[in-house]
Amino acid sequence: MTDTAPTTLLLVDDERSLREPLAEYLTGQGFAVREAESAAAARTVLGSDTPDLVLLDIMMPGEDGLSLCRHLVETKKLPVILLTAKGEAMDRIIGLEIGADDYVTKPFEPRELVARIRSVLRRSEREPVLPAEDQLYHFEGWTLDPLKRRLTDPDGTLVPISTAEFRMLRAFCDHPRRVLDRDQLLDMVQGREAQLFDRAVDNQVSRLRRKIEADSRNPHFIQTVRGGGYRFGAEVTRAGQQ
Amino acid sequence: MKRLLPKSLLGQVTLAIAVTLFLVQGINAYLAWTIEKDRVETGLVNTLSLRLVAMGRIADMDDGELVVDLTPQLENAERRRFRPHSERRGPPGARRPRRAFAGTDFARADTFLTLDGDRRLPALEERLGETLRNNGRDFADIRIVEREVSNDPVAQRFLERLARRRGMTPADLPEKIAVAGISSGEGWEIVRAPIYRPHEHFGPLFPLLRAAMLTGLLVIVLWLVLRRITGPLAQLTERTQRFSENPAAVGQVEPRGPEDVRVLIEAHNEMEARIGAMLDEKDVMLGAIGHDLKTPLAALRVRIENLEGDAEAKAKMAEIIAETSRTLDDILMLARVGRHDVEFEVVDLSALAATLVEEFEDLGKPVTLGTTERRKRGIQVTWLKRALRNLIENAIRYGGSARLSVTSENRAAILAVEDDGPGIAPELIDTIAEPFARGEASRNRATGGAGLGLAIARAVAEQHGGRLVLENREEGGLRAEIRLPL
Repeated sequence: MTDTAPTTLLLVDDERSLREPLAEYLTGQGFAVREAESAAAARTVLGSDTPDLVLLDIMMPGEDGLSLCRHLVETKKLPVILLTAKGEAMDRIIGLEIGADDYVTKPFEPRELVARIRSVLRRSEREPVLPAEDQLYHFEGWTLDPLKRRLTDPDGTLVPISTAEFRMLRAFCDHPRRVLDRDQLLDMVQGREAQLFDRAVDNQVSRLRRKIEADSRNPHFIQTVRGGGYRFGAEVTRAGQQ
Repeated sequence: MKRLLPKSLLGQVTLAIAVTLFLVQGINAYLAWTIEKDRVETGLVNTLSLRLVAMGRIADMDDGELVVDLTPQLENAERRRFRPHSERRGPPGARRPRRAFAGTDFARADTFLTLDGDRRLPALEERLGETLRNNGRDFADIRIVEREVSNDPVAQRFLERLARRRGMTPADLPEKIAVAGISSGEGWEIVRAPIYRPHEHFGPLFPLLRAAMLTGLLVIVLWLVLRRITGPLAQLTERTQRFSENPAAVGQVEPRGPEDVRVLIEAHNEMEARIGAMLDEKDVMLGAIGHDLKTPLAALRVRIENLEGDAEAKAKMAEIIAETSRTLDDILMLARVGRHDVEFEVVDLSALAATLVEEFEDLGKPVTLGTTERRKRGIQVTWLKRALRNLIENAIRYGGSARLSVTSENRAAILAVEDDGPGIAPELIDTIAEPFARGEASRNRATGGAGLGLAIARAVAEQHGGRLVLENREEGGLRAEIRLPL
């Protein structure tokens, strides 16, 4: 983010009763907001203007939000946050699969929306080219799907992990057989909601071990390096889906 | 015995009709058999009485000579009645009377000699006695025995001659003869007559075979006819079961079979279509409720932020909106759990429990992980998580803390949440999981929620083929279990 020009947002929602106060609120938070009441109107705006981020309602008459989202991500490479009335996991997967950066469910905390906008912008600034999200990680029969954030064991059984654990495991998979100290791990794992400390890193590691190690007292995958940090002790391969 | 009886319509109807037919056939055969037996007996009684009457007449006339002469004629006279006219020329027996019959089936004796293996026939004695009296033949004692031909050389010779004359094979000859005697006090007059077997059409074996064949034929025909009914019915049953598991439009049964069944299938299909339409409508409605109510809530929530003024009042308004939204989510959730087009996936339940506990730990809530066995099962992750979250939140709210454990027992995985609170009053424990039920009337919305938490947990457990079990622990506190069959 720069201090010189305000961040510009495009807010697309057919409900005027929500769109107008939200635009007002976001303007109050220091953003420059443009509004569109339909996907068609949004395309017109995008023809002449390129916002830093798009806030997109999913359920709209005419072309719906998901379709516009696909267009935005594929052709404009714009970060998108979806506004949705449904909180079901299905929507989240669909939303994220077509490339939305995040989503909030209505009714959302306006402050949380702002926090997410900033988080998405920070991420897209830091990593302008996203790593290939559709590549699966494989290690010793286990599979980590970075897109759906799913970990499955050698039997194909889903092993539920939290977002923080997912990020940590992904960091390990990105740097197999290398020693990562706590600061490096913190840096790689830090997400929008995770304010991790050294102790918290250890905590996450022990949680992750509980789920993937056969014997968490004698870890095979995540090894502790004396005085240094942790090391992922397995070979990791990556392969495309489908 | 009951296990052997057929349970299907096809089997029961076929069995009932087969048994009835067999019984009717049996009764018919029995009646025919008794009539035939009676006919044979009458023939026998007539033959015997004729001979005895004749013997009496001859005795009245004079001594022995004529006895010998008349006998064959008697025999022939009897035969003549059954033979066509053309054959009634010159009784052959008359030409060789003495050689043929002297001392054979007419005899006088001092005693009525019975052999081993003879069987007395008291019923026949009575009948013969009556016939004799009707014909003016009186006697003091009467006796009839049945005897094997092989035991009686006299009878054998007699029958062999009979066979020769009638062109019969030895197999056609009777195996038994009747020996009848009457006594007037001094000596017996004794005659013999062959006992013919009843015609084989009336014998025990033939009617049985005929009944069995008829029954078999009927069963085959019935089977073919009934299958036209039961086939479509079986299909309809299977379809109904599948529909109740997953109300999908595809795979409807095609109406066929007799008209009654066809109409039933048509009516069923119509009902399915209506149920399908109602379910679709429900989904559309739920979606609309979700969208149309949440968008204005979102608008209100944003407007609160835009308001100038009292921060406390704004926080209160925000809390009301948040609570309304949670209730709305609960209602939508409860309405959606009944659906069956859900994809289950095999999940490590211990990892699921650990993740849930971590979630609460990260929020600083007093939730701990107890024993966990590594159990895998197909579940709908989002819903089961939601159910467990509800149980944990209840435990924290009413019991101060929560312990989550994963164990197994009797081929069921048990996900249990325990607390150290006051538990649930025993009279409420059965109804507490009803939608909108709450433990205490005094409990207000601020602590009680909408009363859907347990209802959702129960619905999710049932949707997974399991159940929700609530019990007060002996040590105090509540134990809420979701039991899922493995």
